[in-house]
Amino acid sequence: MTSGSRRALLAGIAAAVGSFGFTARGEESTPWDLGQLMRELASVRSARARFTEKRFLRMLDRPIESSGTLAYEAPSRLEKLTLVPKRELMLVEQDKVTLETGSKPKRRVLSMSDYPALRAFVESIRSTLAGDQATLERFYKVDFGGDPDRWRLKLQPSDMKTKSFVREIRISGRRGKITGVEVDQSDGDRSVMSMVPDDS
Amino acid sequence: MIRSRVAVGLWLIVLAVAATIIANARFSTDLSAFLPQRPTAAQQLLVDELRDGVVSKLILVSVSGAPPDVLAAASRSLAERLRADRRFVSVDNGDESQFERDRAFVFEHRYLLSPAVDADHFTVKSLRTALDDALELLGSPAGMLAKSLIPADPTGEVLRLIEGMAGTARPATHEGIWVGPDAKEALLVLQTRAPGFDIDAQEEALASIRSAFAEVRRAAGAEALELALTGPAVFAVETRATIKRDAMRFSTLATILIASLLLATFRSPRVLVLGLLPVASGAAVGVAAVALHFGEVHGITLGFGATLIGESVDYAIYLFMQTEPRRGAAGTLARIWPTLRLGVVTSICGFSAMLLSGFPGLAQLGMFSIAGIATAALVTRFVLPVLLPPDFAVTGIEPLAARVRAAFGRARILLPVLGLAVIGAIAVWIARDQRWSDELASLSPVSVAQQNLDQRLRDALGAADVRHIVVARSGSADQALALAERVGKALDTAVSHEAIGGYESPARILPSAATQMHRRDSLPEARVLRARMAEAARGTPFRAGTFEPFVDAVQQARSAPLLERESLGGTKLGIHLDALLVQRDHAWYAMLPLSGVKDVANLRRALAPLYDAQVVLLDTKSETDAIYATYRREAVSLSLLGAIAIVVLLAAAMRSPGRALKVCVPLVAAVLVTTGALLALGQTLTMFHLVGMLLVVAVGSNYSLFFDGSLGAPSDHTSLSLALANVTTVIGFGMLGFSSVPVLSAIGTTVGIGAALSLIFAAALAPRARAS
Repeated sequence: MTSGSRRALLAGIAAAVGSFGFTARGEESTPWDLGQLMRELASVRSARARFTEKRFLRMLDRPIESSGTLAYEAPSRLEKLTLVPKRELMLVEQDKVTLETGSKPKRRVLSMSDYPALRAFVESIRSTLAGDQATLERFYKVDFGGDPDRWRLKLQPSDMKTKSFVREIRISGRRGKITGVEVDQSDGDRSVMSMVPDDS
Repeated sequence: MIRSRVAVGLWLIVLAVAATIIANARFSTDLSAFLPQRPTAAQQLLVDELRDGVVSKLILVSVSGAPPDVLAAASRSLAERLRADRRFVSVDNGDESQFERDRAFVFEHRYLLSPAVDADHFTVKSLRTALDDALELLGSPAGMLAKSLIPADPTGEVLRLIEGMAGTARPATHEGIWVGPDAKEALLVLQTRAPGFDIDAQEEALASIRSAFAEVRRAAGAEALELALTGPAVFAVETRATIKRDAMRFSTLATILIASLLLATFRSPRVLVLGLLPVASGAAVGVAAVALHFGEVHGITLGFGATLIGESVDYAIYLFMQTEPRRGAAGTLARIWPTLRLGVVTSICGFSAMLLSGFPGLAQLGMFSIAGIATAALVTRFVLPVLLPPDFAVTGIEPLAARVRAAFGRARILLPVLGLAVIGAIAVWIARDQRWSDELASLSPVSVAQQNLDQRLRDALGAADVRHIVVARSGSADQALALAERVGKALDTAVSHEAIGGYESPARILPSAATQMHRRDSLPEARVLRARMAEAARGTPFRAGTFEPFVDAVQQARSAPLLERESLGGTKLGIHLDALLVQRDHAWYAMLPLSGVKDVANLRRALAPLYDAQVVLLDTKSETDAIYATYRREAVSLSLLGAIAIVVLLAAAMRSPGRALKVCVPLVAAVLVTTGALLALGQTLTMFHLVGMLLVVAVGSNYSLFFDGSLGAPSDHTSLSLALANVTTVIGFGMLGFSSVPVLSAIGTTVGIGAALSLIFAAALAPRARAS
């Protein structure tokens, strides 16, 4: 049992005890809140998952579907490897984004700070994975809900530049794992990604 | 005596004229003065690029000493201040907002700019391929960024153009600001308005960067912030300052030391002043002669002036020391003048070979030396005797003089050691692989620390490799661009063969009129394009009507005017174009810098068909080194010529080859051992060592002649005069040996060692003293 889930259990007990009219005491009584979720996420040092993604674009009359694998290593490395319909790699390391497309790979390295919209989008997932509440809140107004087994974050961009690009991002998950990311773009396009964690 | 009054009057007039010329002379430290006078086309291009090419105008800036956030903020505010400064054409620090106008320009004119545009580009088949690619892009992670471009640009011209123009690797960023590895420093690249050779303007530009930085630091309250600057302008300014400082410092020091020595010997301030008169006159006339003949005086020539002290003070010393109370100065001169004159003519002979040099720098040194030595000798001969007190004689030196003479007499016992030294020197010469330095950089006084800083910033910035440049010359800007396009095609071949990594071209920013017209003519009209697009999109998920913006854009481009330089306005691309397309002397040059050059032979093959069309592949490094090597080879042959002239002269003057040989042997031996010593000390020789050797011969020939015995064996006074002359020479040049300017230190070390050895060899090889 991870310390996070033990704390969640304690929180559950505390809530139950509380409902019986006792006052919860000290640190054991931490309620399930954003901070708690973030600490739990932060305790995950690496994670892998399979994903499927659907993109609904206004200029297209049917969605584009893709699938592949995701890998995360704390605190700042995120790799998205699309396998279907074509092999494609997106690798995020600190401020650097590497895009690799095609069968004889063509590499493009971007600096996220040159692309604020891209950065806001990447940070929504990466900061969530890292449990980095400060960074998350630098880019987004964060709305938190649900319980440890079914939590969700609603992120709304705080600066105008990102707002012109992303309207809202919804991240859902279970305990220290993310299970879905939905992005609503400001132009009406949206994408839905669901992840199935590889259990390690 | 009327004759002596005439001499003094003439001398004063000459000095006044020289002073006037010097007051109006232009002084330069531009290394291009050391490039050839009659260059090849490639060399001329190189010199022009070094003088006022874009590379010469770049200043790289590093701001360090604070956390990344503070550095980024400091970089922004420094850039903001400098952008308001007219001295800078461009200030780049990674800030993308600076490129908005460029992006707008590329987007608006994509169909005139894109190399992919031709009639085939808009067939149903091509459009279908483009749509498939667009769909793939939409599904990829990059799709989110590129998505908005697709309806107006489904064929991907903007991405293609940006990729072609961005070319080289870009530095890392923090908060959008360029930073070095680990974000320990923020980086900026500035381009000055003034050309690189205008060192005064560059110095001003550097000063304004420093003061802007001081303001930024004050405003940020971050005292720990540090500024570092590098680039050709920084080097040039620093070089000038170093040369000035060293020449000043070392000649002052040498003057003080020599003056003290003379004062201690002569015990008369008046005589001391008189002793320095030939030196001062020689230097003044030397500088004036150079200014008159070359139009400007190079800093190195001036630095060299310092060395003349050590040489020309000798004449006065010989005169003063050998004047005996009974005979007076005039009598002494009558006795020693023939010897002295032969020494002077020998020196002039040696240096006149340098006048023949095709390199203004070397010729300047020759001119300076000849004028300086001749003047110093003439002043000693004709002016000093008039100014000396009639009963002048140096007294109280007899015991010392006798000891010196005795020492010279015993010098013979050194012969075995000296012989070994000569053999050793020859052995060192043979053993060393690299005797000569053939890199122009060996002349650069830029410190290793500064060079390292430069390399580090260049690496961090991914600054283009400016070593290889293809230059296309033509009569008009448009023709040069058309030629650049042909070169571009050849270079594309080289890229596909992986002979080079890539290249930049002015024609990418501004295609030739013909190319633009061709592209414009291949754009289909709206009705046709709309129909083809509909057919191409059949079966794809794209909704009908998605590409109306594309159809409109193409329609607009069909009637748009062709692009000219003015269309670029004040964009970064415009500034870049001005660097790559330049006008010089009624001709236009298109520059195509290459990056990642791997296979020069292949590259040359690709360019071969264009060589008769005024296209040159310029390898700046090897071209510079080749110039320098020519320069050095020329210096060697001129020195040999000078040496031969000296031998012939001596033989003629002495009417005996045998005696001439005897005079020459100590000189040759001294030069050999000096060279060996320099090599053994780990130095590689430059032509300034050679210049030093000539000086050794010039100075040493005096010693040799005095020891030769034609005046009888050297008297006590003569011996002391030789010793004193030698010590002053060693001090004068030895001082320069400590200079950080390679040119000055090369001459200084060579003559310092060489002069001392000359005297020792001359004494050791002197004919056995006859009983006098």
